[in-house]
Amino acid sequence: MKKHHFSWSGLYLTIVFIILYAPIVYLVVYSFSAGTTMEKYHGFSLRHYADLFADTRMITIVFNTLIVALLAALIATIVGTLGALAIKETRGKVRNSLLSLNNVLMVSPDVIIGASFLIFFTMLGIRLGFVSVLLSHIAFCIPIVVLMVLPKLNELSPTLVDAAYDLGASRWQALSQVILPAITPGIGAGFFMVLTYSLDDFAVTFFVTGNGFSTLSVEIYSRARQGINLEINALSALMLLASLLLVGGYYLISKHGGRRHRVIAVKEGDAQ
Amino acid sequence: MTENIMEFRHVGKQYDDNVVLRDINFKIEAGKFYTLLGPSGSGKTTILRLIAGFDQPTSGEIYFAGQEINDVPANRRQVNTVFQDYALFPHMNVAENVAFGLQIKGVKKSEIKRRVDEALQLVQLAGYGAREITAMSGGQRQRVAIARAIVNEPQVLLLDEALSALDHKLRVQMQTELRQLQRKLGITFIFVTHDQEEALAMSDQIMIINDGKIQQSGTPVDIYDEPLNHFVADFIGESNIVPGIMKKDYLVAINGQDFKCVDAGMRPNERVEVVIRPEDLDITTVEQGQLVGTVDTQLFRGVDYQITVHDVRDHVWKINSIHKTTVGARVGISFDPEDIHVMRYNETEADFDARLDSYEEGE
Repeated sequence: MKKHHFSWSGLYLTIVFIILYAPIVYLVVYSFSAGTTMEKYHGFSLRHYADLFADTRMITIVFNTLIVALLAALIATIVGTLGALAIKETRGKVRNSLLSLNNVLMVSPDVIIGASFLIFFTMLGIRLGFVSVLLSHIAFCIPIVVLMVLPKLNELSPTLVDAAYDLGASRWQALSQVILPAITPGIGAGFFMVLTYSLDDFAVTFFVTGNGFSTLSVEIYSRARQGINLEINALSALMLLASLLLVGGYYLISKHGGRRHRVIAVKEGDAQ
Repeated sequence: MTENIMEFRHVGKQYDDNVVLRDINFKIEAGKFYTLLGPSGSGKTTILRLIAGFDQPTSGEIYFAGQEINDVPANRRQVNTVFQDYALFPHMNVAENVAFGLQIKGVKKSEIKRRVDEALQLVQLAGYGAREITAMSGGQRQRVAIARAIVNEPQVLLLDEALSALDHKLRVQMQTELRQLQRKLGITFIFVTHDQEEALAMSDQIMIINDGKIQQSGTPVDIYDEPLNHFVADFIGESNIVPGIMKKDYLVAINGQDFKCVDAGMRPNERVEVVIRPEDLDITTVEQGQLVGTVDTQLFRGVDYQITVHDVRDHVWKINSIHKTTVGARVGISFDPEDIHVMRYNETEADFDARLDSYEEGE
């Protein structure tokens, strides 16, 4: 075996990763501690996990969070994909304006979005709770889906659609049998992306969640304010695991799907 | 008489202010191999898109089997296209690609399978049905694209620069195969290309397109031997094009020297252009030459030598000869009256044909 040589860049990278991951590792390690504070490690125990699973309020909130995330991701993926298809049809100024409007939503701070949704829902008289959280999650997820799907649409050769019509397909058949299957990797990637965004959103949710309804990030925040509870460490460890699985899934889909769906097109001039 | 399957009447097309086609008229006979030949941006691909139904003409009418089809969408035309980039569906395998059109039409599964196998057999891809498109080479993808089109039994098959992405050897092989396939199927092929060799090799009829207009149409031999104007003569094959004066019928003056020719029907002393193909010029001795000049360059090309000679009036002649000569030598150039082709300035194709008929009948 060849020994790795020491390099400054390698060392730098290692330090960066240690700094980035140390707090998470610290938190996960203490979730297995027998003690009740993070001041000292008291030996291995699963008692905080047991506490967590006995905490029905927390379990309900976990399910709420999952349901909101899945529904929001699903609806945002559908709306966002349709939006991307519509943007693809437009040209010039209209297209640029639509894209800019889309990007503004991406870059504007969550706090602003959350606050504006709060004002919006209050004005319309929508009761804060599940519906308001779901609606706002869908809203901030859509631009992300559009951004994930649009590049896939752009790399699709326009002759593919012509070919579908040429072979007798109607507009719907061309869409469902040629365009959508070809951009499926983009749609899948968009879905997983917004699923993670929705799962861990705090700022927007914090504004629009009501009394009877809460999601994990908001709940953890409010509990952490009341003092350190290692049950939260256990929950965080589980969430970290879930996120890792999601990222893994996203990676598998984009990698595997990307290979099979690579658009084959031999481009040469004179295509007027 | 074979029937006309398709006709363009005064078809024009413009995108915004950009005129792409102007007053295109032609008739397509059933069962023949047509080539639309022209440089990039000449409008030939636009004609193909109008036939396929991807675009609608701005003016004029398109007829298919006697019916006007201006407003018939692409998915209801009995025409199929082989695209330049093949446009194969990347998420389907070879057989699924070929089956797509039949499946859309709701053909029975067993029949789809039979016809797909048959089509793959025709393009020599039997047994490749289960392959992924990405696992196929460029030449094989080309065949899949052809199979996907012909499996629908179209009346007209359109091929858009279908061979231009292949390497030279494969391209020549596919030219032969396409021609055989067309004869076997007996359907009309309309082939778009910028490659004049391809056009000459494959077609029954060639239409030369430039600047949104049909410059000349005819059989490959007609177009090669009797180009209508400077553009066609220059675009098809190699040529020497020199200005001349038509003294009278069958006599043309080039650089003040009179030559016998076989062209007639022009005004006496009309200014014309004279075309002589490089392979029709022979190098001979100074005494026997009709023109005398000095050899400038000689290039061995395998089948022949490409030689340039400048004559006493400093006009440079391109000569293709199988015999070698010496650079710097003084040589004679000889040619026969039949080798001279005279072109009038701004003559329309109709006038050209009428003039040809008038004196060829008289002979």
